[in-house]
Amino acid sequence: MVSVHALGAVLAPLLVRKLGRAAFLVLALAPAAAFVWALTQTARIVDGQPIEQVRQWIPAYGVSLAFRLDPLGLVLLFLASGIGALVLVYCARYFDSDEPGLGLFACSLTGFAGAMIGLVLADDLILLFVFWELTTILSFLLIGHYADRPTARRSALRAVSVTTFGGLALLAGVVILGQDARTYRLSAILAHPPHGTTVTSALVLILVGCFAKSAVFPFSQWLPGAMAAPTPVSAYLHAAAMVKAGVYLIARLTPAYGGDPTWQRLCLILGGATMLLGGVRALRERDLKRVLAFGTVSQLGFLTAILGAGTRDTAFAGLAMLLAHAVFKAPLFLGVGIIDHSTGTRDLRKLSGLARSMPALCVVMCLAALSMAAIPPMLGFAAKESVLDAFVIGAEHGTSSYPYMLAVFVAGSALTVAYTCRVVWGAFAPKPGVADTPVHAAAWLALGPAGLLALAGLVVGIGAPMLNDLLSGYADAVPGAHEVHLYVAGWGGFGLPLLLSAIAWVAGGAMFIVREPLLRFHKNHTLPEGEDVVNNLLLALERASLQITGSVQRGSLPVYVGSVFLTAVALGAWALVYGAPWHLPSPVPWWASRTQLAVAVLTCLAVICVPLLTNRLAAALVTGVSGFAVAILFLVDDAPDLAFTQLAAETVSLIVFVLVLRRLDPSFVRTQRTSRRAAHLLLAVSAGVVLSALTYVAEAARQAQAVASGYGELAHESGLENIVSAIIVDFRAWDTLGESSVIAICAAGVTSLVFARRAAGAFAVRSRPERAEAGWLAARPAVLQRSLPLEVVARLTYHTILLVSLYLLLHGEYGLGGGFVAGLLAGLGLVMRYLAGGRYELAAAAPIDAGVLLGLGMALASGTALLGYAWGDTVLAPAHFTVHLPVTGSLTVHSSLLFDFGVYVLVIGLVLDILRSFGSEIDRHIAADREAAAEPTEPAPEGT
Amino acid sequence: MKALVPLPVLLPLFAVGIKFVLGPRRVRMQTFISLTVLVADTVISTVLLVEADRHGPIVVQVGNFAAPLGITLVVDRFSGLMLAVSSTVTLCVLLYSQSQRFADENEDETGAPLAIFYPTYLLLAAGIADSFLAGDLFNLYVGFEVMLAASYVLMTIGGTDARIRHGAVYIMVGAASSLLFVAAIAVAYAACGTVNLADLAVRLAVVAPAARLAVQVLLITVFAVKAAIFPLSAWLPDSYPTAPAPVTAVFAGLLTKVGVYSLIRTQTLLFPHNRQAPLLYTVAALSMIIGILGAVAQADLKRLLSFTLVSHVGFLVLGLAIGSVRALSGALFYAITHITVQTTLFLVTGLIERREGTADFSRLAGLARLAPVLGLLFFIPAMNLAGIPPLSGFIAKLALLQAAAADGGVGAYILLAAMLVTSLLTLYAMTKVWARAFWRAPGEGAGKAAERQIVMPGSDSVAVVRSAYGAARGIGGRRISTSESYPVGMLGATVALILISLAYTVWAGPIAEYTERAAAELLNPSVYINAVHAIGGTH
Repeated sequence: MVSVHALGAVLAPLLVRKLGRAAFLVLALAPAAAFVWALTQTARIVDGQPIEQVRQWIPAYGVSLAFRLDPLGLVLLFLASGIGALVLVYCARYFDSDEPGLGLFACSLTGFAGAMIGLVLADDLILLFVFWELTTILSFLLIGHYADRPTARRSALRAVSVTTFGGLALLAGVVILGQDARTYRLSAILAHPPHGTTVTSALVLILVGCFAKSAVFPFSQWLPGAMAAPTPVSAYLHAAAMVKAGVYLIARLTPAYGGDPTWQRLCLILGGATMLLGGVRALRERDLKRVLAFGTVSQLGFLTAILGAGTRDTAFAGLAMLLAHAVFKAPLFLGVGIIDHSTGTRDLRKLSGLARSMPALCVVMCLAALSMAAIPPMLGFAAKESVLDAFVIGAEHGTSSYPYMLAVFVAGSALTVAYTCRVVWGAFAPKPGVADTPVHAAAWLALGPAGLLALAGLVVGIGAPMLNDLLSGYADAVPGAHEVHLYVAGWGGFGLPLLLSAIAWVAGGAMFIVREPLLRFHKNHTLPEGEDVVNNLLLALERASLQITGSVQRGSLPVYVGSVFLTAVALGAWALVYGAPWHLPSPVPWWASRTQLAVAVLTCLAVICVPLLTNRLAAALVTGVSGFAVAILFLVDDAPDLAFTQLAAETVSLIVFVLVLRRLDPSFVRTQRTSRRAAHLLLAVSAGVVLSALTYVAEAARQAQAVASGYGELAHESGLENIVSAIIVDFRAWDTLGESSVIAICAAGVTSLVFARRAAGAFAVRSRPERAEAGWLAARPAVLQRSLPLEVVARLTYHTILLVSLYLLLHGEYGLGGGFVAGLLAGLGLVMRYLAGGRYELAAAAPIDAGVLLGLGMALASGTALLGYAWGDTVLAPAHFTVHLPVTGSLTVHSSLLFDFGVYVLVIGLVLDILRSFGSEIDRHIAADREAAAEPTEPAPEGT
Repeated sequence: MKALVPLPVLLPLFAVGIKFVLGPRRVRMQTFISLTVLVADTVISTVLLVEADRHGPIVVQVGNFAAPLGITLVVDRFSGLMLAVSSTVTLCVLLYSQSQRFADENEDETGAPLAIFYPTYLLLAAGIADSFLAGDLFNLYVGFEVMLAASYVLMTIGGTDARIRHGAVYIMVGAASSLLFVAAIAVAYAACGTVNLADLAVRLAVVAPAARLAVQVLLITVFAVKAAIFPLSAWLPDSYPTAPAPVTAVFAGLLTKVGVYSLIRTQTLLFPHNRQAPLLYTVAALSMIIGILGAVAQADLKRLLSFTLVSHVGFLVLGLAIGSVRALSGALFYAITHITVQTTLFLVTGLIERREGTADFSRLAGLARLAPVLGLLFFIPAMNLAGIPPLSGFIAKLALLQAAAADGGVGAYILLAAMLVTSLLTLYAMTKVWARAFWRAPGEGAGKAAERQIVMPGSDSVAVVRSAYGAARGIGGRRISTSESYPVGMLGATVALILISLAYTVWAGPIAEYTERAAAELLNPSVYINAVHAIGGTH
């Protein structure tokens, strides 16, 4: 059933495009079918055989697609499907075919009908919530149908905010309740309701959800605003269906929790208050639709109070009232829609004489209004009599609050009578001094649905007893006396209920006539306007969010980086204090040798110097000291490989620094306040102290032996002699591969950035070498200040350096060497050529694209890794190949050599790339700047 | 099966090498390579996911060097899930960006970043995959570095002023956290003498509490920066929005999730009995609330989405904080949902930018009328993000709510309330966008650009907020081409992601069962440890 509607909703836009507004007639078939199906099932349901259908959805979270049709569900199903079908038919005349956004509207409305039907049929609380929120979202879209009107947008936002607030409270309640009941199945919970404090709080949350949905005080503000929606929506969502969802859920849970005092009090007090507030407010409105809307609020409060009262009789009467309300409110809305459509206004001061010009409509609306004012023999009368009956009986049985409630109901009913009169008078009566409103005739297809509903109110009102079985089928589940029934035409004989009704009629009529003083009184003693409250809340939210975000989101890099270290320091200090590091198994000495100490002191001194320096170059050089110090530490600990690599890497970094610094201001600019600098200093020092302390604690806590000791043995087994190199290219080659790609991508990124300013050609193309010119060195003499000895030495040693680097590469397995350090060395050779001869010299030294080298290196390294599948069963599987050479005899080659070669090529590519971008390219920028300076008329090209 | 495990990392790396060698000329070949690699990644990841679910964790020792000397790669249910979802999303975004690129080819002659865009993108995919696979703390660091290095390049691509300025923030914060990561590894090694995760788990259990805490807080800090958890989240909304749409999309979808993944992995595996729940409770709640308030304050769609990202990472932390099977299951479900949805939303923003030339929704108007398809594409993921049922975001949040309710502690109830407030405000922010950008009459927007100026006397907060988005002239300082129609690939990729997110709802049953199994596996670290220790290499 639900899926039929979903299908209809999906097809709706297409249908609308094809058929125009006639599409609504087709779409109406879906709820109409549901209605007919419901009719055929009635006998069975009344017999007490509910229909169940359960499918699994998310068993892991206890959610199933469980549907169940029982008497309460059936009543609501009649409303949702019957009125849904009629409203869709009505739409076919209400709108014009070329109305903008009609496809979406049709889709939402059909989908809404489906969601509503799903809601009343769902037997799983979570599934119910799914449909519940769907109705919320669809109503958001429907309210905002006239999207170009700001009021419509604001109303839609307000409605969705309030109802979702309630919806989420409901969700919390449902989850807590389900947690306690160990199931979400409604039928199971109703059969064995859990109780306790947790459950009570869950119930309060659920009630908040219901109240928000059904516009019960203090959540009633959104409903009148929702009248910005097209009239069919108001009739269906905001009178007959969606707002009934909250009332429905109250009715659904009353059999289990109606006896709960919290439940009762909340429903009775808030329901009663809503009834009165809404009724009074309805008297003040001038827009017909808003009069009806506040009337709806009032009636919803009424329903909440009755259904939440929690006895069998009140439940019975409440359901009857619910049915009656839907049946009389929908045609009233539809009628107002027709008036609006025919005359162009809904202002009851401007409407005049419609009784003469639109007699059919007048009859229909009067019929519905009679029902609303609870005049016999309408259904409204029958239902209200049963309500009064139920509460009178309850009061006789000694429920202390019921007399008060009766008073409230009578007052509320009087207000209802008064605003009913106002609607009828306002719409149809000829008004003195107002010319008859010009009209154009209403279509029968629009009037039909309204007429049908109004007629239903009459027919069912007269034949009310036939509802007895159905309503009892629901109400008998609630404990309490079984004394209330519906009577033919509502006529239960003379008695207290009838007297109360009569009082309401008289008082209501009087109020309508003398409402002016009443309204003045109300105007002076009024609560703040609900819509303003919500608006102010939302405004306050926006303000608060702006302020909080402003204070958190400083947009300042030092603050962000500082917060990272601050967090680390705070948490680290906490760990030190909390972890009680006073008893550690293996305290470590502060230093192992004098050299270590000396190097450490040197490093510290260098680091202290850095922030004191104002010259960038000097700062870079001094920072380099700590790098070289680390190299010395490696040497002291007998790791010449690492020391050598560190040295080479440090040298290259320094050169890069120098190349880049050419384009920067030689000095730092100090703009920060002293206090801020002090804070930075404090943070930096404490970060250092805490990290050192953590390291010390960790070292001292060590009990297990480090895995490092296993590497020597493993290397020996594998036939490798250099442990460092074995770790890099064999044991942990996977890491090396990753880091190699980091190198490659950094190089590519740097190039992209440096060259991007020129915005011509792409990365690899741009770094293509320039053609060298003839000469001892390729450099153009004029460009650079040259040093001939350096040039000669560079040229002469270049090839030697390359050879040495190759040796280091090949030798890596046995001793000092390896692809990384070899690549760096070869790179240093390139650096020398560049420093000696500039960019042209560099182009001559390496007539190859840096990008190709980088790519080749990566492809080789990762390709070797892939080849592991060929000679082993996994990536990077090691292999040996023995090659028989004629002169030297056999030579064993490890597969890792190929890998290492990839790293080698990659590193050369890196250095070349850096030289090209930071060296050659910046040279070019400088040269361009100079030329531009020489010719001041030309705009200066952008620098880096 | 084992042979497949390293491939999601290795294939992209190899492809990058080939691409660099090929150079930027052979466009068709380049496209073909990228697509093939990512399609292969997706297929392999899915196979691994199924295998890990059926037969338990798949453990590989790279090069057959046994743990703890060699590097361990592990696919268990958790990493398998993340791997599969992330590779699918990466593939979709690739399709999107390729289509965008081809459509722009004629207009965008400069084309500067394009030759490195795809290689970098592939590396990013490799780094993400390696982070998920790593069974070794140092290799996890390497995975992060690959991913971050690639992201640095992608962030600053094109080298415009705005991108470099915001990229600098991103890079510096990233570098700071990397530094701390190395320190954390050093401390871990100093305390335990190993960096293999399974070994660390065994040894950390018996080491002195001060040392264990030291490792734990350092790792939490590091991953909190990567995952953008409050108070270490401020860098994210400042840097993400300036990048091109597909880049922001994949960053938003995946990078923070890698941080969350690592956080969950290390906390559950290494510190199963010391969850630091109060700390995690606090940051989860603060992330959610402060993040979403930030979103409410925004007028630019990309910035707004970035703030919701911060906020919704809180949900994932929350799952870890509560730490029950249901909570982690919900967190996992939410992670995959959020990856998909957040990516989709940024891709849709890209489509909006393409159509209107801006994502500042005080200037956008009438999109629902002008581009109904766009409306649909935005509405579904936006509602999913807001947790509207029956979309998948709701289902995941439901599990988290259930976990909080089952926990029953005061902290859990506070988190439950925070979750609901966040959902409400997310919906509010999304509907506000909808009302402004999609509903307003076309043309109404232009005059209203000034409407956000009515704010706060006497606080510089507004200036900060305003200047931050005011800086992004054009998109990240870069002009983009606009057109009324969208290239097929851009649209197709977005639709594909939406369909995937809808599939999460339809198959919520099996997915929830899977995440429950995965969560149970996470809470029983011995499964992981035994799987690693059972695999001897050839040595």
